[in-house]
Amino acid sequence: MDVDRDRERELTADQRRAERAAAVAFTVAILAGIGLFVVYFAGGQTQLEGVLFCLVLGGLGVGVALWANHLLGAHEAVEERHELTSGAEGREAFGHALAEEVGPTLARRSLLVKLLAGAGGALGLALLLPVLSLGPAPGNTLKRTSWQRGSRLVDETGRRITLNSVPEDGFITVFPEGHEGEADAQALLIHVPKGLLQLPPEKLAGVPEGTQVAYSKICTHAGCPVGLYRATTRSLLCPCHQSQFNVLDGAKPFFGPAARPLPQLPLGVDAQGALIALGDFDAPVGPAFWDRGKK
Amino acid sequence: MSMVIERSLKYLDERLGTASFARRALRKVFPDHWSFLLGEIALFCLVVLVFTGTFMTFFYNPSVREVVYDGPYKPLQGQEVSAAYDSVLRLSFEVRAGLLMRQVHHWAALVFIAAIVIHLCRIFFTGAFRRPREVNWLIGMALLFLALGEGFTGYSLPDDLLSGIGLRIFYSVTLAIPVIGTWVTFLLFGGEFPAGDIISRLFVFHIMLLPALLIGLVVLHIFVLVLQKHTQYPGRGRTQRNVVGKRLWPEQTFKSIALLLLTTAVLALLGGLAQINPVWQYGQFRPFDVTSPAQPDWYIGFLDGALRLGPPWDLNLFGYTISEVFWPAILFPGIAFGVLTLWPWIERRFFTKDYAEHHLLDRPRDAPARTATGTAGLMVFFIMFLEGGNDIFGVLLNVSVEAITRTLQWSLLVAPVVTWLVTFWVCRSLQRSRAHPARITAGLRLRRTAAGGYETAPLEPTSNPE
Repeated sequence: MDVDRDRERELTADQRRAERAAAVAFTVAILAGIGLFVVYFAGGQTQLEGVLFCLVLGGLGVGVALWANHLLGAHEAVEERHELTSGAEGREAFGHALAEEVGPTLARRSLLVKLLAGAGGALGLALLLPVLSLGPAPGNTLKRTSWQRGSRLVDETGRRITLNSVPEDGFITVFPEGHEGEADAQALLIHVPKGLLQLPPEKLAGVPEGTQVAYSKICTHAGCPVGLYRATTRSLLCPCHQSQFNVLDGAKPFFGPAARPLPQLPLGVDAQGALIALGDFDAPVGPAFWDRGKK
Repeated sequence: MSMVIERSLKYLDERLGTASFARRALRKVFPDHWSFLLGEIALFCLVVLVFTGTFMTFFYNPSVREVVYDGPYKPLQGQEVSAAYDSVLRLSFEVRAGLLMRQVHHWAALVFIAAIVIHLCRIFFTGAFRRPREVNWLIGMALLFLALGEGFTGYSLPDDLLSGIGLRIFYSVTLAIPVIGTWVTFLLFGGEFPAGDIISRLFVFHIMLLPALLIGLVVLHIFVLVLQKHTQYPGRGRTQRNVVGKRLWPEQTFKSIALLLLTTAVLALLGGLAQINPVWQYGQFRPFDVTSPAQPDWYIGFLDGALRLGPPWDLNLFGYTISEVFWPAILFPGIAFGVLTLWPWIERRFFTKDYAEHHLLDRPRDAPARTATGTAGLMVFFIMFLEGGNDIFGVLLNVSVEAITRTLQWSLLVAPVVTWLVTFWVCRSLQRSRAHPARITAGLRLRRTAAGGYETAPLEPTSNPE
């Protein structure tokens, strides 16, 4: 007994150092733990909590690591691997078991087995049906928005937009009245200086005074709101993937990953000078989908 | 005390036969090399994620019902926000230690996926996936995908502006799946974006479906590892038939506990001091708002970059549309992760014709084609990751994003090829020189002769793997 204790005392200098360091580390952990209590009951403070929590865990971790590396004594161990396979014999035995026990049991009742498989398949399909309850059929949802002939243009708070609402080279996000904030209906109304728009006549017909042009605000690439208008180049920029659209040329993309122009919202003016839509966008808004081009 | 332990051990052994199993388990040998700890770091992050995540579920409210915020954060007081966003603000500002828990959780998620990726690289570049470990390679790949899914679903839960835009992009990506995309999207989201169901559905995915699969597969991953035993680096006394290293008890147990504590300590420090995902600054999600610059968490960066790099090509097939989003966000990741998943079979079929069992690891230089392919693949992901930050680099370097995008588009064509060739050449040179890349010695070694003069001595090869 005494001999053992003496042997334990025969620590190397390295081990004695490690022991002292581990003791310091554990002490730090204890003190930080007390500190954590104090901070928590004093009302909490995120940064202090983080640091103290780190010291508790770190002190413990450093102590245990020192213990592992210096005080356990390094014993290299060797373990033999064992064959993983059952070997040819084992496989053969299993094959026999299959052929003699499973096979004949099923073969005797081949009609029943077929029916059983059929019933299993029917059950499987029936179990899949509830998946269809997870969402409505797409139908025409993606091809239509709430804009109709006569919809009044309003901003997100419901304020009506007139011919003078937007200053030259200014822009504003608009919605159909009664649908403020609706994701697929959002459009950008831009006041372009007179004479700059280069649109075919049928599109220019939806631009009151030749200056009030509106495009869908949803990027045709991945659906982000096209939120940035550069008045210097009269282009729209999507901040997500930097697709850029030429406002003067029907919002056709000229840089970045988008492949299709932003759909145009045809506009008109009612008797009071308020802006109204002449119909829905001239194409499905937002990113492409499989049957986008089908009626 | 020892009487109690002895009796309970006897009780268990008589009923379950635990003694011999436990004895074998305690004597299991772990190779003593730092690169074998990468998977453990991932595991310990998962432990932290489960604890901090469970804490947060007691406060989080997965609902997009509108409420008026009346908490202590002044800029948002009186604003209509979703109940989900409101509950995250309350957790951050009003629950004691709530913000710490949230930030530790977010940091743990980032480190979790980083550890998985580096662990994956270690397995790949040392050929640890070779027979008989292909099954565990597949389980590992599934774990990577589940971890990415966990990351993305969790990131979207606060219903803040930044994650809402991320969700919008994800919606556009699923819409771009040919033929069934529209249906898949409507079933997943519950209708056209932003259908009200998506936040509560993501929550179920994030805290139940994905974690159940993840934890189940982690257990299986470790079970197969124990069954097949560790691989090891070649060295003195190490053969195909043995494992040399430290036993589970006591050395590896101490080491693993220390690593668990230190990993958690680092995460606690990050969570306490390094602000992450300050959702109150982004504001609540509104479908017509957008922020710039906008970056997702690092592990989605490559996909965001791929979307920015992608060509503006949509395709019209008999009136049906293939979206321009299809190429970078579905086809590219499909091919890249497909090749990676099937790599053990691709390598042996087309490169090595090596069907033998391997328990000794390659050094990366020993398999130049594999190493070159791996680094070229990493280069592809790295370029896309860079492009994901093109707006930030544009501001930092005072260069237009257009120039950065064009440069990286060309790099994507050239850099992987160059990387492949250079890596291949470096591997071959290292094979010849037998030098350790981290310990290349230059110059001459001089030796004093008995006569008092000097002569040059040959440099000893330092390629002894430890």
